[in-house]
Amino acid sequence: MDNQTTNVLLIEDNPGDADLVRLRLVEGQSSVHVNCVNRLSEGLASLSLETPAVVLLDLNLPDSHGAETFRRIMEHSPNVPVVVLSGQDDEALAMKAVHQGVQDYLIKGNISSKQLERAIRYAVERQGLLRALDIAQKQQLEFKNQFLSHVSHELRTPLTCIHQYVTLILDGLAGPVAPEQADHLKTVLRSVNQLHAMIRDLLEATRAESGKLRVEPRCISLRELVQQAVSMLRPTADGKKIGLEIGLDQRLPLVHADPSRVLEVLINLLDNAIKFTPQDGSVVVKVCMVEADPGYVYISVSDSGRGIGPEAKALIFERLYQDPDSVDNSRAGLGLGLFISREIVRLHQGRIWVSSEPGQGSTFTFTLPIYSLAKLLAPVVTHEEHLRPSFVLVRVELAPLSSLPRGNWKDTWRQCLEILQHCVYLDKDLVLPPMGTSAASETLFVVASTDLQGSAVMTMRIREQMERLGNLKTKCTLTVTAIPVELQAQNPAPALELQIQDLADRVAQMIITTMERKQLGTRKGAQDSN
Amino acid sequence: MPRPKILVVDDDPDLLRALRLRLRANNYEVTTASDGYAAIASAQKERPALIILDLGLPVGDGFVVLDRLQNSDALSGIPVIVLSARDPQNNEEKALKAGAAAFFQKPADNDELLNVIRVSLGPGTPQAAAAWPS
Repeated sequence: MDNQTTNVLLIEDNPGDADLVRLRLVEGQSSVHVNCVNRLSEGLASLSLETPAVVLLDLNLPDSHGAETFRRIMEHSPNVPVVVLSGQDDEALAMKAVHQGVQDYLIKGNISSKQLERAIRYAVERQGLLRALDIAQKQQLEFKNQFLSHVSHELRTPLTCIHQYVTLILDGLAGPVAPEQADHLKTVLRSVNQLHAMIRDLLEATRAESGKLRVEPRCISLRELVQQAVSMLRPTADGKKIGLEIGLDQRLPLVHADPSRVLEVLINLLDNAIKFTPQDGSVVVKVCMVEADPGYVYISVSDSGRGIGPEAKALIFERLYQDPDSVDNSRAGLGLGLFISREIVRLHQGRIWVSSEPGQGSTFTFTLPIYSLAKLLAPVVTHEEHLRPSFVLVRVELAPLSSLPRGNWKDTWRQCLEILQHCVYLDKDLVLPPMGTSAASETLFVVASTDLQGSAVMTMRIREQMERLGNLKTKCTLTVTAIPVELQAQNPAPALELQIQDLADRVAQMIITTMERKQLGTRKGAQDSN
Repeated sequence: MPRPKILVVDDDPDLLRALRLRLRANNYEVTTASDGYAAIASAQKERPALIILDLGLPVGDGFVVLDRLQNSDALSGIPVIVLSARDPQNNEEKALKAGAAAFFQKPADNDELLNVIRVSLGPGTPQAAAAWPS
């Protein structure tokens, strides 16, 4: 250690022990400044003010005992080295502390100043090395992710060129094409699309690994999504003469999930199932509820392929995993699909797993949380254990003008959603997640804890704020309406939980009525224009 | 009726040639530029009805071009469609905020791109879809 003063924070409640340690420190060669406190709370307060070179820590303090003591210190200041001062009878606990990240321990009553000095010096050095290692690992990960994101960008440029010229020829824009030539070109185009998908996966996996994968949950029905995924993969399945079936429970609740991400997972699982199922086999998608787990919907994809062995089962969701026995190595892909799927499911707070026996086919299952209005509403509609007196459902409808490009529309309504969040009181109003898979037109709902009069102020504010958004009028029409939620007073009042459920049911019914009316309207509109 | 003129800006000459063929086949007149400076000069001189713009360009990248167009009274009305290999997660919102009408990541689907061109040009432009062999 150089000649600088070493700042030591000593957390010790026994005055005799504290004096002894202080004495040993001062006896040593190096210049030491000791700050001694006798409670954990004071120690934590001191750590918040200044960072010492090392903490010397007694584990049994008036306000904390045993393992809890070092856990709280390390949680508070993970970068400060800690040396535990242990009694002779506590050595086992001190060892445990070392396993959990404490740098060292010393047995009290038995400490020489040389020993103490060395323990401190080593603790500081080791902690420094650990930090450097941690930083280096993070830098390496960051470098790798940047590299991959750069590579996937660079690969797109030549791929775009290939795609453009192949489609030019295929579309006959460079002269007539013989049927056989067209056939070959279609094969090229298929490979281009495959390469494109791989580049996309590479970037997605990089995002997943660095925590940058985004999901935008909406309130959606799985029925449409499953049908969409199945119809997208139907041609591939037909090509291999594989039966592709759907089994949906009659009554399925809505789920709270990002439709495009769920579609990604479904396509991935179906694509794998078809890939690993021999000709004339079958693939089945099922969506159901499980009695033991009422908060989730279970989605499973089963195939009649050759199944997965126990070793592969343990690794199959890992990044870059490839089935070593794959018959069809030429089209094996990057081994990123299941990894990305797992990350997507995890971001939805769901689970994903596989059950399979070799030779018996496999079933991949994932879960998605159901859309529970009651759960979302509970924190805002109650006040001091009582339901608030009145509620209004505010409906904000944004219908894009037909001339607006799609990408633009998404951006517009996202901005509107953001504005809406700023027009409500976050503690007593709730902007519900957007509904439905298609964002063709967007109806947003707010449950406001107010009466009709109070909601008039809110609807005015919403209209004003949204119209202030740059040329909203050239992009869409805006309708804001407010309807009171009629709650029947019951005497005596049922449990709060039941009251919230009742409110949620009524709001849900109002939303369904509105949406059905809107669908009827658009269908009628479509007929009129025909 | 004159064919609407589209300015295509990209630093890859091969891609420019392909896009020119594709757009001409769909009844558009095409003019090209391969860097940011040339793009602005060409926009001033040719007054295109629409611009297809890459983001990674020499001599003033796509965002510089967007900024210049937005700040010019004569040019700010021209719809700009960004066609870039860059990650939409970091660039789409930025481009739309900078005044672009739409963002496409390369490689883009031809039908979707042509559709957005048609919509952005607005009503009264010749129906190019008929010339589109499927």
